[in-house]
Amino acid sequence: MKSSKINLSQVAHNLRKSIIEMLVPKESHHIGCSLSIVEILTVLYFHTLHLNPRKPKDPNRDIFILSKGHAAAALYATLATRGFFPHRILKEYDTNGGILPEHVTKVVPGVEVSTGSLGHGLPIGIGFAIANFYELTKKSIYVLMSDGELNEGSNWEAIMFAGFHKLDNLVAIIDANGQQGYGSTKKVLDLGELKDKISPFGWNTYETDGHNLDELTSIFRLVKQQSNGKPNFIIAHTIKGKGIPQFEGKFESHYYSIDEEMKKKILKSL
Amino acid sequence: MRTEVIEKIYSLMKLDKNVYLLTGDLGFSVLEKIEREFPKRFVNMGVAEQNMMGTATGLALSGKKVFVYSIIPFATMRCFEQIRDDICYNNANVTIIGVGSGLSYGILGCTHFALEDIAILRCLPNISIVSPCDGIEAVLAIDYIYSQSTPVYIRIGKKEEPTIYQKTYPFEFGKGVILSRGTDITIFSTGTILKNVLDAGNILKDKYHISASIVNLHTIKPIDIKLVVQESRGKKSVFTVEEHGQIGGLGSAVAEIISEYDKMPTLTRIGTPDRFIKYIGSQDYLRERLSLSPAGIVKIIRNKLS
Repeated sequence: MKSSKINLSQVAHNLRKSIIEMLVPKESHHIGCSLSIVEILTVLYFHTLHLNPRKPKDPNRDIFILSKGHAAAALYATLATRGFFPHRILKEYDTNGGILPEHVTKVVPGVEVSTGSLGHGLPIGIGFAIANFYELTKKSIYVLMSDGELNEGSNWEAIMFAGFHKLDNLVAIIDANGQQGYGSTKKVLDLGELKDKISPFGWNTYETDGHNLDELTSIFRLVKQQSNGKPNFIIAHTIKGKGIPQFEGKFESHYYSIDEEMKKKILKSL
Repeated sequence: MRTEVIEKIYSLMKLDKNVYLLTGDLGFSVLEKIEREFPKRFVNMGVAEQNMMGTATGLALSGKKVFVYSIIPFATMRCFEQIRDDICYNNANVTIIGVGSGLSYGILGCTHFALEDIAILRCLPNISIVSPCDGIEAVLAIDYIYSQSTPVYIRIGKKEEPTIYQKTYPFEFGKGVILSRGTDITIFSTGTILKNVLDAGNILKDKYHISASIVNLHTIKPIDIKLVVQESRGKKSVFTVEEHGQIGGLGSAVAEIISEYDKMPTLTRIGTPDRFIKYIGSQDYLRERLSLSPAGIVKIIRNKLS
């Protein structure tokens, strides 16, 4: 899929709209968490990932794992837009009897792994990476995590392992929006200079603006093409709640829900 | 039992390039051959069980048949959430081989005992639990497990356990085996402690004229409900014997069943008590102190019946 044929900026805009549209007034949470990863998902699904929505189980497909599974709305909107299932299914999000829970489930076409508890995605990504490591057709395994998620020790087991075993088909992306469950990451458990913590474990590390489509396109292209015996760690600086001014930069946007009126207002502004 | 299981895994890895074995940095003197011959499919994950279970899941979701190996508390408790959320929730083709059932690691102390594993894993949807009584049964179980593609926990001993079966038999997953038929009581049991139960059965018969049916429930989940009801009905009393806590294990599984049926006898759950064991010793020593020796089992049964 070539980005020149697709206006990534328009895709990102439409994804934001789809996310807001699917929210159930007063019920849906994790809104800020979904909004911060829109550009990352746009570039991955409309530029980088080798995928075929008509063949969701194609053995040669690239693998994407949403480790921060609570950003399900963003992934569902992306998968629907990419053609994995009809857009109308998004109406089932957060509804009684619906098939789209607020943490991604494998039942949904295009979702590789059910997630929801933090710190699970990277180890699972390692499993995919090992399975593919000696194959002739090298694929890429992408795991999108949050910065707060890095509090979980299981990630560090995985980071140590992947670096030591040179799993260079693995790409970890951090949605570094600086906010987590009960405060900013700086206040709760400051990650400090994350690059300096990750590199010694044997990873290529990069930082990028997580909302700049050109930067994201370049960095994803770079890591996909290189194979230097190191897994890749991309720290994407983002804004929690990006796109909705009243949510931007606030950790509370993890929890805020919106009512019907606010939903209408936001959609109008978009 | 461990050696026979590993030999079987080796033969599966030789036969099928999709079989992987992950270990949590354990396997000294047993896994070397597999490591040498299948370096791309044997992975020492290090002392990192959460990563090990996640990795197993990713491999399984990529179409591999994955076996994971560690000492029971580390294989089941350290990474319980991964077993629940990664393996079971995704219904992944992962088999957890837990070594050292019950009091196998007797002198190592409580952190290495396996007295709660059946209880905690039983409540997970999608998982099967197999508890073979000897090496022959363990190999038959692994054979069956190889043909399946859903989560399994297999609870094995360590080494040099006595054999109970003289030869291979038509193992049926989910179906218990009546090892001896009696008229007074039924004892349901599982795993290597079954040897002590069989010996207890003989003492009960020869010395005390108590006739006991002895049933091997090698599959704890899904349990053989029909056989449990059938062998309980009409007996004066039923007993369960397990090298596991009295809470939540085989005894609880049997209690859950017979409590729902009419005309059932009372049940006595024989297992380890609800306290951390303060002393150490060989497996046989600990079993004796905790009334899991043949004489200990006989005493509990006789007390109940008198």
